[in-house]
Amino acid sequence: MYHFDWAIFLKYIWPPSAFQDPLIRNGLIVTVIVSVVAQALGVILGLFAALGKMSKLAIFRWLSEIYIWYFRGTPLIVQMSLLFFGFGVTHIYDFPTIFLGVVAISGAIQAGTLALGINEGAYMAEIVRAGIESIDPGQMEAAKSLGMTFGLAMQRIVLPQAAKVIIPPLGNEFNNMMKTTSLMVVISAGELFYGFEQVNARIFKPFELFIAASLYYLLLTTIWSLIQARIEAGLGERKGTTKGPGMMQRLFTGAGGKGVR
Amino acid sequence: MVHPNVKLADSNIIVKAEKVNKYFGSLHVLKDIDIEVRKNEVVVIIGPSGSGKSTFLRCINHIEKINSGHIYVNGHLIGYHDRSGKLVEDSERNIARQRAEIGMVFQRFNLFPHLTAIENIIEAPTRVRKTPAAQARAEGERLLVRVGLADKRDQYPNQLSGGQQQRVAIARALAMKPGLMLFDEPTSALDPEMIGEVLDVMKELAQEMTMIVVSHEMGFARAAANRIVFVDEGQIIEQASPEEFFANPRSDRTRLFLSQILH
Repeated sequence: MYHFDWAIFLKYIWPPSAFQDPLIRNGLIVTVIVSVVAQALGVILGLFAALGKMSKLAIFRWLSEIYIWYFRGTPLIVQMSLLFFGFGVTHIYDFPTIFLGVVAISGAIQAGTLALGINEGAYMAEIVRAGIESIDPGQMEAAKSLGMTFGLAMQRIVLPQAAKVIIPPLGNEFNNMMKTTSLMVVISAGELFYGFEQVNARIFKPFELFIAASLYYLLLTTIWSLIQARIEAGLGERKGTTKGPGMMQRLFTGAGGKGVR
Repeated sequence: MVHPNVKLADSNIIVKAEKVNKYFGSLHVLKDIDIEVRKNEVVVIIGPSGSGKSTFLRCINHIEKINSGHIYVNGHLIGYHDRSGKLVEDSERNIARQRAEIGMVFQRFNLFPHLTAIENIIEAPTRVRKTPAAQARAEGERLLVRVGLADKRDQYPNQLSGGQQQRVAIARALAMKPGLMLFDEPTSALDPEMIGEVLDVMKELAQEMTMIVVSHEMGFARAAANRIVFVDEGQIIEQASPEEFFANPRSDRTRLFLSQILH
């Protein structure tokens, strides 16, 4: 019969005591910051890939197709390992530590963020494209008839409208992103799960520690769900149309949960 | 840059189409269309649905591409330049510059739903013409007065009726001070009680502007057109002044069409 170690469990689920361990405190900070940066990178790359896919020029269409094909067709964990270990050993890029004032950003965090962002871009491309295509082509025609170029019409007329379609699935992607950062454990990037792994290597309490780890992720995704619901309620008010799934539905039907990539 | 873009000598010709052909796949929608529209002329194009009249209108500002022939607007070939007899598509920037001089009003209004009435109107003047915002706004408000919607300045399109939306769309096109206005079935999507208010604005405009109007509104054609062009199966069947057109249609197809539409 396994003896559940309540002392360890409570120490690691209660933030003030857990954060005394820098592995956990820093891990949580890294997870949140990497999620935000990688998601932002994914949105930017996704926008370019979506526009590339819709381009008149075949070369842009091919580049986008190949990008999306490769990064959706291979596991993120492999992409990340290739980028960090593969690029390192060949000296294609060594990912030297970057110092921003007092903060040092390790090569593993850089490579992990980059891999997460590039991978995410391939998924965002489809979301952005669907958003753009949901806008009546008459909008682009009207903009062009007023003398706007394609770029200006996209920026001023189409994308602001498409954003309302893009934001709900983007929120789900971000929810996923926070969980997926845990894959950075394979390159020892020092995020939250890595922190728990290190603690476990020291005291070997995998049951207690990994339940605690899961609860931190649950906390992050739940807080985000609340924020997302408010953002979408705001969108719904402004455009005066249908609302997204409610809070309870969002939490318990797993809207947005897609598992490991 | 070599630009053998022959400028038409007669500056009174606003639109000139020569042997314009257009295909959608294997469907031949415009067949050797020839037409000239002079300054301040109001031309109403009528014809059965699917006859190609809207397609022709959309070729005039190069929203649709033509397969052969030439269309000149304000004396310049639109959308293309002629490289020893072959049409080569112009740069996006040149096309945009030409389109800025051509106003277009759409059947489904195509107002920008995320912008208010006044924002719809000043968007292109401020972004394309770089008119200072205050000046664009003042001009935009004058245009709203002109179409009778001064009080709707800050409303979003979904807060306006169809007729009001179309009047804002007309003001939006006029804000670019175009030399030519194209109307693509501007009243077809409107409830009957709203058609009058849009036609009234168009009739007033017809006093002072060059206009090409694709429409089924025979009352408007009679009252405002200088010339009626009847199009069927991608060809111009006949064109005449409204008086002559309605009194003495020459071809059987015109007579058939008029009998269907006028009873």
